[in-house]
Amino acid sequence: MRRVLALCLLLNACSSQPTIDDSIRSYAGGMPANLSGSWERDYSRSDDIQGVLNSMLRKLSRPVQDPGFGNNRRGGGSVVPTQDLSKVVALARLADLITRPDVLTITQNEFEVSIARKDDFAMLCEFYDGYAKRTESDYGTEVCSWNGHQLVSHLVLPDGLLISHRFTKSADGRSLHVATTVSSSATRAPFTVNRVYVKFTPTESDFNCVETLSMKRVCSTGEIVP
Amino acid sequence: MKAATILLLLCLPLLVAAQGGRNVSELNISIAIFDPGIPADRSLHRDLQVFPRVREIEALYLPFVLREALVGTQEWGAVRVVPESDVAAELLVSGTIVRSDGETLQLQMRAVDASGRVWVDRVFAGVTANQQLYDDIATGLRTARAELDSKTLQNVIEISLLRYAQQLAPDAFAGYLSSTSDGTFRIERLPAANDPMVERIERIRGVEYVFTDAVDAKFRELSADVAIVYDVWREYRRKFTQYQIDDALHAQNSKSDAPRGSYEAILSRYENYKWDRQAAQEQESWAVGFENEVGPTITAIEARVAELEGWVEDRYAEWRRILTELFELETELPD
Repeated sequence: MRRVLALCLLLNACSSQPTIDDSIRSYAGGMPANLSGSWERDYSRSDDIQGVLNSMLRKLSRPVQDPGFGNNRRGGGSVVPTQDLSKVVALARLADLITRPDVLTITQNEFEVSIARKDDFAMLCEFYDGYAKRTESDYGTEVCSWNGHQLVSHLVLPDGLLISHRFTKSADGRSLHVATTVSSSATRAPFTVNRVYVKFTPTESDFNCVETLSMKRVCSTGEIVP
Repeated sequence: MKAATILLLLCLPLLVAAQGGRNVSELNISIAIFDPGIPADRSLHRDLQVFPRVREIEALYLPFVLREALVGTQEWGAVRVVPESDVAAELLVSGTIVRSDGETLQLQMRAVDASGRVWVDRVFAGVTANQQLYDDIATGLRTARAELDSKTLQNVIEISLLRYAQQLAPDAFAGYLSSTSDGTFRIERLPAANDPMVERIERIRGVEYVFTDAVDAKFRELSADVAIVYDVWREYRRKFTQYQIDDALHAQNSKSDAPRGSYEAILSRYENYKWDRQAAQEQESWAVGFENEVGPTITAIEARVAELEGWVEDRYAEWRRILTELFELETELPD
């Protein structure tokens, strides 16, 4: 392994709940890549969810020898049960929902990367001295890692549900590839969808706006003094 | 500025004379700007819901609320908010914000008189919006004072002046005080009643008080601006705390009975997390809004504090030099 991995996701053999080990240092010095900026989806280079799902369902419906899918009975393999297929469809639907925002607004500083999406929470990756810090609540745990120049975000939810995003910026810095994988302990087949985003500069408004507490958003054509 | 200083120095004998017949129990109180109590480990801020900039604003604002409570009792001398701890203060009150979440406010308060005697050193807690917490602190100070007799209080006033004098003219005031191993001070001897050096020190202290009070008056106007927005902030935080309680109850009582692995089941899991995070992130945006709104006011306060400190520091250096020269002249043996 070239670099020390920041995080190991260990699927616990005794439990259906994925566990997270974030005790490994992800990097030394500054963050390995700067992903900040406004990114909009490039549909021509992004996966079509229906296409990915169809392809996956065809693959799963065929008798397989791969012990990773379905029951590998002696003498010829078997198809994945229909019940399992509906769970894969469920994962695909969730992946579709999660990756629906067309625009990602990423802000990054010395300690954190925040990925804001419309109609969803902002994904948050916190690092202190190269170590990832979990964001925990009663409903799930979010933790990130750097794998080389790739930022990997994991969201562990109850019932063995795991959502991972892998962010990779192109060498020229103009595009951002995001691979989103949704998996569940209820089915052995994870669902992955790839999205590509291109950097853009948001159009400047004629107004200067500032968020305030008592007056909400205050805008002016001149300098704002709340 | 020079003209103002000269004018003040001319007026000072009147000011000093006016303080002559004071009641010894009415000690002057200096309240230092609070310690915001921000954990040094940045990684804990989110977990503890500590918004550093908001805490800094609270540390500046809450001493004024306490000051108003103490002034309201009409049981003390001048009550001033000072930018930094002044060990020569007759009674120095300092505080650290332990917790402030909109619902509950916890302050670690410490009050020490000029002799080094600790009057109060404990945590006061209460509902943020309630005056009771500040009244409790005032009661704590009053109770501590009630245990001291007039002579002890008079000593505190004298030690305060001597400690202040030692800061300005250490040679001239050496030997008047001694300190003990527990950090308290004792008067060894007092300067003569007509000692000109004491009169100068009192004048200088008077000048410092006048300037502190002038800036303090401006602070009060500015703190009124902060108070309005702070009330909104406190209300938002209180609602957020209530939301978290309600949300936890709701989640407990509305567990999805959809089959495990179904879309309904996994969507429910995702949505629960999403709403929780969005609520937390909204709270962070309130903190930004608070900072945006009161930022200019705070910047003005900080600028005035810096101006005062700069002025006093410059004058201190000058006063020290003049006092040293005067002391040398007055104690010089004739040839």
